[in-house]
Amino acid sequence: MNQQLAVTPTPTELKLVIAGLGGQGVIFTVCLLARTAVALGHSVMLSEIHGMSQRGGSVISHLRIGGSEAPLIRRGTADLLLALEPDEALRNLPFLRRGGVVFVNTEDGLRPEVAEHLERLEIQVLSLPATHMALELGSAAVTNVVLVGFAAAYPFLPLPIDALRETLAVIAPRGRELNLQALEAGYCAGRRAAGAERAVPGSQTFGAG
Amino acid sequence: MKHEVLLGNEAIALGLVEQGCRVATAYPGTPSSEILDGVIKYKKQYARQVYTEWSVNEKVAFEIALAASWTGLRAAVAMKQVGLNAAADPLFSAAYTGVRGGLVIIPADDPGPHSSQTEQDSRLTALNAKVPVFDPACPAEARAMVEHAFALSERFSLPVILRPTTRLCHARQSLALSDVSPPDTPIPAVKFRKDPPRWAATPKLRYRLHVELNDKLRRVEAEFAGSPLNYVVDEGTSDRVGVIASGVAFHTARQALRELGVSVPLLKIGTPYPLPRGLVGKFVASLQAVVVLEEPDACIELQLLDRSRVRGRLDGMVPAAGELSPEAVSAVLADVLTDAGYKIAPPPDDPELQALIESLSLPVRKPRLCQGCPHRSAFFALKREFGPKAIFPSDIGCYTLGINLGAVDTCVDMGASVSMANGFYQANRLVGDARPIIVTIGDSTFLHSGIPPLINAVHTGVCFVLVILDNHITAMTGFQPTAASEKLADGGDAAHKVAIADLVYACGVTFVRVADPYDHENFRSTLREAYNHSQAPGGGVAVVIAESSCVLEDPSSLSQNPTPVVVTEACDGCRYCVEAFACPALVLRPDKSRVDIDYKICVACGQCIDACYKGFIVPQVMETAGSEL
Repeated sequence: MNQQLAVTPTPTELKLVIAGLGGQGVIFTVCLLARTAVALGHSVMLSEIHGMSQRGGSVISHLRIGGSEAPLIRRGTADLLLALEPDEALRNLPFLRRGGVVFVNTEDGLRPEVAEHLERLEIQVLSLPATHMALELGSAAVTNVVLVGFAAAYPFLPLPIDALRETLAVIAPRGRELNLQALEAGYCAGRRAAGAERAVPGSQTFGAG
Repeated sequence: MKHEVLLGNEAIALGLVEQGCRVATAYPGTPSSEILDGVIKYKKQYARQVYTEWSVNEKVAFEIALAASWTGLRAAVAMKQVGLNAAADPLFSAAYTGVRGGLVIIPADDPGPHSSQTEQDSRLTALNAKVPVFDPACPAEARAMVEHAFALSERFSLPVILRPTTRLCHARQSLALSDVSPPDTPIPAVKFRKDPPRWAATPKLRYRLHVELNDKLRRVEAEFAGSPLNYVVDEGTSDRVGVIASGVAFHTARQALRELGVSVPLLKIGTPYPLPRGLVGKFVASLQAVVVLEEPDACIELQLLDRSRVRGRLDGMVPAAGELSPEAVSAVLADVLTDAGYKIAPPPDDPELQALIESLSLPVRKPRLCQGCPHRSAFFALKREFGPKAIFPSDIGCYTLGINLGAVDTCVDMGASVSMANGFYQANRLVGDARPIIVTIGDSTFLHSGIPPLINAVHTGVCFVLVILDNHITAMTGFQPTAASEKLADGGDAAHKVAIADLVYACGVTFVRVADPYDHENFRSTLREAYNHSQAPGGGVAVVIAESSCVLEDPSSLSQNPTPVVVTEACDGCRYCVEAFACPALVLRPDKSRVDIDYKICVACGQCIDACYKGFIVPQVMETAGSEL
């Protein structure tokens, strides 16, 4: 019965964990990704946290594009982690599978203690000073959108930038221009970084270098 | 057909509107609150005539929906699981009398718990009340189950429960929606028909209604045995181990089995009470061991007569508390499967990385009152005025977070603060304890169930100070209007504002003052006055209404009158303000040398000026003037 009602699952499944602090727009971020995936014909299942846990505090959301209807993602199986804050990236690193990727908003990369484990688990850290960039655009509130744009520049997040742009224009009617600029800025930074990385294989940005 | 991403609670709401629900009531509570918001959204979107309201409490909400049902209309009532405790009286009674129009009760359970005082299982309340239960596994199924629920309710003239859990309520799933508005049916030509032997049954007749109810449940169980909501996936793949799962645990279990690389028969139960025991018994008998996965407690398992092959909560195989996370489910299944000789995939977690992350002592982010919250100012004043010696009974709402300010000592259930103060007063008199009793309760909670214990206190001559934290809204659950609001649930402005001060006077309280907690001096002197009144001969309860709007909902007073502050160079990092005032915008430097204002989140309320007793937090203008000297 629910097979008829739910969108037919796509054969492949992408599992994302989105983490940040209350007020950073974790729920908006996951809605942006989910609605874009649905517009592209994928099924989605995601979970979010409301109420007591929303007043400040760590906020986390799990997003499954295609595949199962289970709302939570098991530790050690997520493909991608989007972290709006470096400590929240660290806290949620154990969700990633071997070979997973973390996109993180940070000026300095992740603490050097984890580097060895990331290498062992073949986890890539792709970092961006998204808050700094958002402030340059005029508001820290669009930090999350900068980070999404950044992630979209990499093949790991198979959501085309055009599709993200279209969703963003719909779900952020107020401050639309600023949001689109933020997406663009993140995307361009990602394109540059991805290009540089191809030129210098293995140059990742963890550690406080 | 188009596809939209719907919150679980919105999917339930859509189901209600699609199925011709005409009266929907609720009292807000996480994780259920967006159900009524959703009904309001879809009734407007599809131009349906549906009466919706945020009732004053769950019992009232239930009885309003019941009357609509007895009139012959389809009705629904939503609440969080503990709200069903408040509505238990009419629930148990309505099971006996039965209903006319379909009546669907939606209590949202909170395994974890994430935002509740208990992990109680509404399915067990239903078992006790003898009310059938539907247990959806995902938003899409919840929407579809509304149709089954109304149909069953009307066929058997029984109230029924649709029981979601947090992970369903707050999941979002892509659902297929029709491009055109679903077909509307006219409001049925029904009227309340008098039937005193049923609607006003006396105890003798209640006995007969109970016999009738038992017979209905037998027939419902037989019907559930053939229901498409109960089915087996991966049938015949094994005769050693099987799994029975209901609710969200069904998808979690299915996913876990995939990740373990094992295929075993999985019986999905959509109707856990009354359990189709024949169907489930046959499934169990066909296997050597069966794991039951359900939340938050054992409801299916309890109804199984032969549990010799059953592994679950009752034999300790499944943890008896906490959420059935993917990790927990995986661990249970791995144990049972390994015992039965299955080869399973190794767990994907990396214990080394996990251990390292735990060793990093990452900052613990406790929920806190928002920056600028007037409750913080009120609690800070209470603590300054009465000190740690006072007993501070408090209640359910945002202001429970006053615990961070050391001005919340008890939190039991809605309205309990005022009753507990009655009790502490009497107990303290017996044991010779003269500490002040200072109660805090929110506006919505006071209206919900704070009034009867206040009447009780006046009548029995109890003395305490009652601070009603009136921020004009039910803030914690998403800004639902209260009976003291100008707006109705759907935005209509026909509401009659109930005045809290008038209610308090009417309860027989003689000392009632309204004071703004932002105005420290006046607020503190009002508290003193109240305390003195309560202690004077013939004093009794003194009530202070701390009136100031929720700054998240209505920031207008702040933006019109900002008081930006700075921390002066003299700050010595003593952390008093950080700990005693606990504002998220006051941040201790990592080297602990001083405190800074986080201007990204500071709302310029200026309330922290008093939080530094050394005078190092000052208004910005003053600091500028000072530096010019």
